[in-house]
Amino acid sequence: MDMTTLVSWLIFSPLIGVFVVACMPATQGHMVRKIGIGSTFLPLIGSIVLFVLYHQAQPTSFAQHMEWIAFTLPAMALDTSWAIQEVVVRIPYHVDVNGISLAFVLLTTIVTCMAAWSAVHIQKRLKTFFILLLLLQVGMLGVFCARDLMLFFLFFELTLVPMFFLIGIYGFYDRERAANTFLVYNGFGSALLLIAFVWLMATAGAHVSEGVLQFSSDYATISSYFRTSEALVDGGELTHVAHPFLLSEGDRTALFLLLLLAFGIKLPIFPLHPWMLRVHGEAHPAVVMIHSGILLKMGAYGLIVFAYGWFPAEIHAWGTVLAVLGVINIVAGALMACVQQDIKQVLAYSSISHMGIVLLGLAAQNEIGVQGAVFQLVSHGFISALLFLIVGMLVSRAHTTDLRQCGGLAQSMPFLSAMWMVAGMASLGLPGLSGFVGEWLSFVGLFQTMPVLTVIGCSGMVWAAVYMLRVILRVTYGERRVGMPMYSDVRFVEAVPLTVLVSIIVLLGVYPNVLNDTTEAAIRLVVQPLWELHQGNEPVTVPPFIQGEG
Amino acid sequence: MEYSVVQWAWVVPVLPLLVFLFLTAIGERRARGGVYASVVVAWIAVVCAGIVAVFQLRANSSYTWEEWSWLRMGEWTLTFGFEVTNLNVLMLAMVTCVSALVLTYSLGYMKDDLRQTTFFAYVCLFTFAMNGLVLSSHLLQLYIFWEIMGFCSFLLIGFWYTKPAAKRAAKKAFIVTRIGDVALFIAIVWLFWEMPRGSLSFNDIHNALIEGQLDATATTAIAILIFIGAMGKSGQFPLHTWLPDAMEGPTPISALIHAATMVAAGVFLVVRTYDFFLASEIALDIVAYVGAFTACMAAFIALKQDDIKRILAYSTVSQLGTMMLALGMGTRAALVASVFHLLTHAFFKALLFLGAGNVIHATHTQSLAQLGGLMRTLKLTALTFGIGALALAGVFPLAGFWSKEAIFYVLWQESPPLFWVSLLTAGLTALYMTRLFVRVFLGAPRIKNVHTLSRVMTWPLVAMAGVVVCSGWVYTPWSDWLPLQLGYVAMPHESNVVVLLSTTVVLASIFLGWGLYRPKAEAMRTQATNVVHPPTKKGFRKQKRLAKMQPVVHQGQPAASKKTGFFTNVLVRAFYIDELYDIVVVKPFQGIAQALVWVDQVCIRGVMDGIGRWLFVIGRGGTSLQNGQVQRYGVMVVWGFLLLISVVVVRRFW
Repeated sequence: MDMTTLVSWLIFSPLIGVFVVACMPATQGHMVRKIGIGSTFLPLIGSIVLFVLYHQAQPTSFAQHMEWIAFTLPAMALDTSWAIQEVVVRIPYHVDVNGISLAFVLLTTIVTCMAAWSAVHIQKRLKTFFILLLLLQVGMLGVFCARDLMLFFLFFELTLVPMFFLIGIYGFYDRERAANTFLVYNGFGSALLLIAFVWLMATAGAHVSEGVLQFSSDYATISSYFRTSEALVDGGELTHVAHPFLLSEGDRTALFLLLLLAFGIKLPIFPLHPWMLRVHGEAHPAVVMIHSGILLKMGAYGLIVFAYGWFPAEIHAWGTVLAVLGVINIVAGALMACVQQDIKQVLAYSSISHMGIVLLGLAAQNEIGVQGAVFQLVSHGFISALLFLIVGMLVSRAHTTDLRQCGGLAQSMPFLSAMWMVAGMASLGLPGLSGFVGEWLSFVGLFQTMPVLTVIGCSGMVWAAVYMLRVILRVTYGERRVGMPMYSDVRFVEAVPLTVLVSIIVLLGVYPNVLNDTTEAAIRLVVQPLWELHQGNEPVTVPPFIQGEG
Repeated sequence: MEYSVVQWAWVVPVLPLLVFLFLTAIGERRARGGVYASVVVAWIAVVCAGIVAVFQLRANSSYTWEEWSWLRMGEWTLTFGFEVTNLNVLMLAMVTCVSALVLTYSLGYMKDDLRQTTFFAYVCLFTFAMNGLVLSSHLLQLYIFWEIMGFCSFLLIGFWYTKPAAKRAAKKAFIVTRIGDVALFIAIVWLFWEMPRGSLSFNDIHNALIEGQLDATATTAIAILIFIGAMGKSGQFPLHTWLPDAMEGPTPISALIHAATMVAAGVFLVVRTYDFFLASEIALDIVAYVGAFTACMAAFIALKQDDIKRILAYSTVSQLGTMMLALGMGTRAALVASVFHLLTHAFFKALLFLGAGNVIHATHTQSLAQLGGLMRTLKLTALTFGIGALALAGVFPLAGFWSKEAIFYVLWQESPPLFWVSLLTAGLTALYMTRLFVRVFLGAPRIKNVHTLSRVMTWPLVAMAGVVVCSGWVYTPWSDWLPLQLGYVAMPHESNVVVLLSTTVVLASIFLGWGLYRPKAEAMRTQATNVVHPPTKKGFRKQKRLAKMQPVVHQGQPAASKKTGFFTNVLVRAFYIDELYDIVVVKPFQGIAQALVWVDQVCIRGVMDGIGRWLFVIGRGGTSLQNGQVQRYGVMVVWGFLLLISVVVVRRFW
């Protein structure tokens, strides 16, 4: 069966919802909500189909490769000995999924669906909300499925605009400032990303054959450049058909740092985080579900795909720096989370802390570490979505997230309190829930390379207990505050997304191989260049890899 | 593999898990039905565990099933499963037994609680985790159950969640044990890379250590880290502070989790990973000295506590210390003695806690200052409590006597100085138990309205007392059933000197206690307190509920008083360890966190926003230049011209 268009269908399926919602009268709020939530099921079903097909015994190819943009440049004189007749820039439309992107696609569709569902609390401008949400989903799905730098960049930018409006329209008091901060930081990151991408395209993307010089932004072209070892050696023998566009060691370091900075803003790496605190604090909880659940993951996804895949030597050289940054994220984020007075801020700092674990996994430079980073990303995506889902329900009732004003909610809301407990426990890494597996894998991975930093990082587990318990207990335990009414427990509609997310978190925690089966082969491919590097320079410490599908 | 009943051992942990799911599903709607069902299943689990134990002990060859691929990590795979050994089935039988008895008891104790389904569900989840831990064949699997167990303990300590003290205690328990857990976690991570093929199953660990495949330094470090984990769970100094506070939980929980099972899991962990300790002298010494210090220190503190449950909690800390001390000797006999004490202690300490529960249930107070003379009204409780107290003190022929004797004998042979420390601890134990028993049960009745207890709250005590009376005979100078089961063949010869010494010390302490705390002297000092007894049954129930929610008596550590001496104050405040932690750990870290927040809010955000503001300033400046007025452009032309001229001039003549 030909499945080449399935991924494109999946990416653009939210547009159907956009169209339908746009055509509806804004006065019919109830109907808009139903249709809006319903249309997030389209990509959800699509991703599940993709997941099932991906796991079939016979490997199916989902790659769709088409000519998209191609234009010729005036011929340039590279070298007298080469006869360059034509210079062509090709930006293909290339989408595909591998295990890693599939995991993130599922995360995206599930979390978006749950976020749309949780929008039962949104009253104003519903139509706009759903249109923006669905557009955002197109961008997110595109980022994970793109196999072409420019396409990736386009989708990456596509997430910015709807997110800007989602933050600015639906949040709390200071939402517009938060939206501006979001745009400025991420716009800056995108600018760096664009520089890096154009640079990559102009060097690694170059390919000469039969007198035609092509600049391609396809991942495959660039990967093959980095795989060809002589292209990376200064002063190596240049041949006509190979790679005349040399990236010197300095160039590669600069590119790596550009990518690290661009994606580090998104992740966020410690000093680059102020924007996400503001977004966490001011955006609507349903929007933060997406933001914290998916958008932050795009940074790490970029690092895994680009930095890990193409700059193994740099990862190796900067591994310690990455680990130190990770430890700073973990410890500083956790410590600051301990003294915040607003639930949303505690969760924001806890996200910083958890992203530190991802950095540690990436710094490990082995398969287990990357596995841990991916697991941590997916698990944190679900956990933070669950946490903010609950925050949303809390806000819709109590209209506050100030820890000093909360207390004793377990008396009136036993179900919500139980969910809050589970979410908090998952976040602090209780075994049996998904958070633990990510921590375990990341720390095990890093221990092989940097035991001391691992031990310091592990101390974050204690701090996580301190700040999470503080939040859990302050909100649900204790006597009800004077003057606080008995809020009603969750309705059935609200209970559904809670239950779905909790089930996924429990499933991933009890049987982590579920996720592992999907991502394993892709992770091996990602780590392979690094392993080859290790093998060339040092005694073999990493086991041989099995060649998986691309 | 030959078919055997033992292969079905996994049923034992799964049963309570199913009950947990069932109770969670039904909620509080049909509370009593669900609760009764859970007790029935708990007894079925006891029967299953009993059958497994009988078959295992008869077959006497361990059975391991490790097939479940939990997680593939690179080329390594973590395979979980379960392992049935003689040690495991003994633990399993103990855990299911105590759990079933405590659940039965809770039928009475929690009868009027509004959230009893939740309570039983938590207990079932705990029993699942503990049974799972006991049967674990893989170190990481053990860790997973270990943490789930800690989580249940946290939930149950904070069961009466509206009480601020319960909330604090639950949080403290979680965080303090978490410190130990992280050490254990690091140990496992480290061990993963030390072990050939990254296998963490107990069999492989055992083989690797026997064959000496592990680096000596790593072995020592891992052993110490494992022990830190055990310290957290088993309340060893300096991580013991959570255990006395954990007494805020319902008393059946103190009996099950904080006396019999979970806190003993630390000892079990050390037993399970004993090969590490055998391979490292340093680690053994640490275990021995920490254990000895904890045992002695906690016994001293227990002397001066006012709350029945706190006395018993410190006593638990002390006894666990004794078990650790024995393990620190590093011989097979020490291991057997320690396990023996673990098993007997589970029963007599659970018995004591349930007795204390009866006292609290009947009088609504747990303060020694208000109790007294309950012997007449709570006859059966007094009798069984007395048996438990004598067993704890180590009086012939109760179970505690034999297990302590086994430990004393090992210590006498291996390390005489620690033997004397242990003997001192035994003396102190006898002393504070005498004080407790005398103050609570003897003398003139001081509480007028003592509520009667239902049968369901007394016969579990009788059953436990029965076990306490009989179970000592499995390991005596004349019978070596237990050591044989645990794979230790050499017959220990009890030393008459040891028996004489310990018996003398214990009896002397009891007489000393009698002399000190005799009811006569006591009755003159304080007056009887009245507990108001509302007339109607409904009102009584309500009051009872309220009494549980908001205890009548001040709980927690009593404030140090000026009248008493310095030494007493130090003991009453438990050596000021909590205060010390507050100054040395909590406050500094709060300070650091606040400083970090300042750096984050002011410096980082300031710099970032500052960059943004400068961009705006530059932009505004640029905008104002281009305001469409010819005059402004003219001025700019003039300035530009002057600038140009000056540049040219400077360049020309410099």
